[in-house]
Amino acid sequence: MSDLLCGYRGDREAMLMAYLYEEIGAAEKAEFDAHLATCARCRVELSSFGAVRKQLAQWAPPAFAHWNKASSGEAGSALAHWSSTTDDGRRTTSHGSWWREIPAWAQVAAAALFIGVSAGIANLDVRYDGSGLHVRTGWSRGPGNPANPANRENLANLVSPVNPANLVTRTDLAALERQLRNEFRMTSSSASPVMARAAAADGDVMRRARALVDESERRQQRELALRVAELVRDVNAQRQADLRKIDQNLGIIENRTGVEVLKNRQTLDLLLQRVSLRQ
Amino acid sequence: MTWTDEELVARSISGDADSFNELILRWERPIYALAYRTIGREEDARDVCQETFLRAFRALPGFRGQAKFSSWLYRIALNLCRDWVRRERRAPVVQPPEDADLLELAAAAEPSEPIEDLVARKDLARLVERAMEALPEEQRTAIVLKEYHGLTFQEIADLIGCPLSTVKTRLYQGLSVLRRELAKNQSSKL
Repeated sequence: MSDLLCGYRGDREAMLMAYLYEEIGAAEKAEFDAHLATCARCRVELSSFGAVRKQLAQWAPPAFAHWNKASSGEAGSALAHWSSTTDDGRRTTSHGSWWREIPAWAQVAAAALFIGVSAGIANLDVRYDGSGLHVRTGWSRGPGNPANPANRENLANLVSPVNPANLVTRTDLAALERQLRNEFRMTSSSASPVMARAAAADGDVMRRARALVDESERRQQRELALRVAELVRDVNAQRQADLRKIDQNLGIIENRTGVEVLKNRQTLDLLLQRVSLRQ
Repeated sequence: MTWTDEELVARSISGDADSFNELILRWERPIYALAYRTIGREEDARDVCQETFLRAFRALPGFRGQAKFSSWLYRIALNLCRDWVRRERRAPVVQPPEDADLLELAAAAEPSEPIEDLVARKDLARLVERAMEALPEEQRTAIVLKEYHGLTFQEIADLIGCPLSTVKTRLYQGLSVLRRELAKNQSSKL
């Protein structure tokens, strides 16, 4: 191409680009059209660039999956979703369980309270007799089953009247019960929405996982389709090459056979001539 | 009613998040395509695209409309792509496409269209990708902006920050390299 001469006076490359992409004034275009009519080099180059552009058009980026598709699919969530990204590019996650929102000290305190209260209630023994109210928990009991008469005697020895100053009254118990009920109610009521959020987050994770799996399957299917198509193409090409080779071999065999037949015929003719001469 | 980019920008600045989301929906695909064709990695292109909009959102109050919103976005994305190339300390890698559109093409194609044609088209796309690998960054950027985003010479010059004549020269050189590489790859494929 470069061995062809071009007599264009001016920035040839810039003009070619302007002409190619049609960013050129009418007067300039007319002028360059006139030049093209006489310049094979520019015509060839423009044509080849046009071909390159057609090939470039075949290149498409991979399919674009909107970020929101995995979540809510609403436009309004894009910014909110992206806003959860930290400055250094790491994405914060909101998939933590609800209880992670409660401070650790509170979790420990709640657990201790729960275990203590449960253990106490499980073996609570309240009795009211002439000597006053007796309250015993599992910790203050002796070993063995109180239903056993042998143990009952031991228990009677162990039990001593409680100091009235330290006695727990019914009012105290009722207050304790109310308090416990309130605490349980508060715990369950505060846990419900959080658990609902956690369930929603889990559902979101499942949806995303399912989307990833689906995408992976689609990719595998595409890959398989491509491989199959390539295989078909290769098999066809191989088959055609084999057919050509067979044709060639058959031709060679035919030629050889023809030559052999010709030789035999010539030999036969020679023999016939000799036989006829002897006779 | 369809708002213009500038109107959506003004509404976003005044605190309307939906308007900025509309801008995202409008421009995320072109920005993603630009990033992918510039750096050639799907996941990184997604990250660049996301980061572009985050930076744009943060910088929105400072956007004075001296350029088109799209040009502003392109500039942010190109800077991020450049950072990515520097950070990775290597030339952009163009991955083979994920054959994502083969079945779609097959589904969309006429029943009479042979599968070989689809494969041939796919092969051509791969050849183009390989040829694009051979381009220096500035030539590739010029080609991508011109061929795939339809920007004018002047817009590209403003975006990249170089004279108009340089843009044309880069395009000419880039197309010349692509022509040579495509011919080479095609002949080696045969």
